[in-house]
Amino acid sequence: MTEDRLIELIESWGADPSAFPQAERGAARALLAAHPERFATAIAEARALDAALAQMPDVFPPPALTAALIASAPKPKRAGGALRVPKFAPWAPASGAAALAAGLFMGLMAAPSASADSETDDVQALLEEAIGYDPAAMSEGIAE
Amino acid sequence: MAIVVRVSGPESDKPCRVAFSSDLDQITRAAAGDAAAVRALVNRYSPGVLSLATRMLSDRGEAEDVTQETFIRAWKALPGWEPRAKFSTWLHRVALNLCYDRLRKRRESLPGELPDLADTRLSPQEALDQSQRVLAIEQAISALPERQSAALTLCALQGHSQAEAAEIMDVSVEALESLLARARRTLRAHLLERSPSP
Repeated sequence: MTEDRLIELIESWGADPSAFPQAERGAARALLAAHPERFATAIAEARALDAALAQMPDVFPPPALTAALIASAPKPKRAGGALRVPKFAPWAPASGAAALAAGLFMGLMAAPSASADSETDDVQALLEEAIGYDPAAMSEGIAE
Repeated sequence: MAIVVRVSGPESDKPCRVAFSSDLDQITRAAAGDAAAVRALVNRYSPGVLSLATRMLSDRGEAEDVTQETFIRAWKALPGWEPRAKFSTWLHRVALNLCYDRLRKRRESLPGELPDLADTRLSPQEALDQSQRVLAIEQAISALPERQSAALTLCALQGHSQAEAAEIMDVSVEALESLLARARRTLRAHLLERSPSP
């Protein structure tokens, strides 16, 4: 460690040798301790500047900035694929009833249109109630 | 690895200690949208980034913009993050480059409006006032060439290690030392010039 190098260190890193590069810290301390008077001016100037810099207040982010930074962060990924079907489909009961009515209608269209059988009459009545009209009568109208 | 750090911020004087996991663990969790990890990264690093940008730009609004932009870039980088550099170093480097960009744009758009130190000379009475002294130092730092200002801010004001500051600035430690020496010489001369005559 030369005197010139120690002056350079003080001018760059300040008066406190603990701020010097670690590799040169020990030698710098030794030289300072051996000849304090030679470096007194440089140390005093550096110390004054260190003190001035130490007066600088810390800068803290305002709450609004912190909130904005957090809001801009990645959001948690949801489980499952991109296409999500609601568990409850409000149209499900209506579609079930429509399918039932269509099935009954098709079945009866394929059956004989008129029957004296009382069971068939019961089914006919049930069908009329379900779909709102008599399919047998309609099919006869179409045949005419 | 779990470490314990003191949360920096306006409430840092309160006895508030939070146990954080390592950066990498926190980054991984933040990338997955873990709100606690995101909050921890913001609380830990936003003061340093904002401070660097404030000292470099001398404009709080612009400094906040730079901080936001820095974190947006960080969030984008998190999913593929590889610990080649410390997250802190990477973050400060991004912020510093954004500051350089803004300073360059300022020079291009306002070539004649660089700070004029001679116009802001303080009276002897003002020089005694603490807030005026702080203002004078802030002005002197912001009037330094940008790389000198960055070196001084990172090392003398933010306490980064020599290696870390050099990595943030993408220079050697020797170059950093040279920048610091010039910055301190200029600053000292400026402050002496402003101080009241005996």
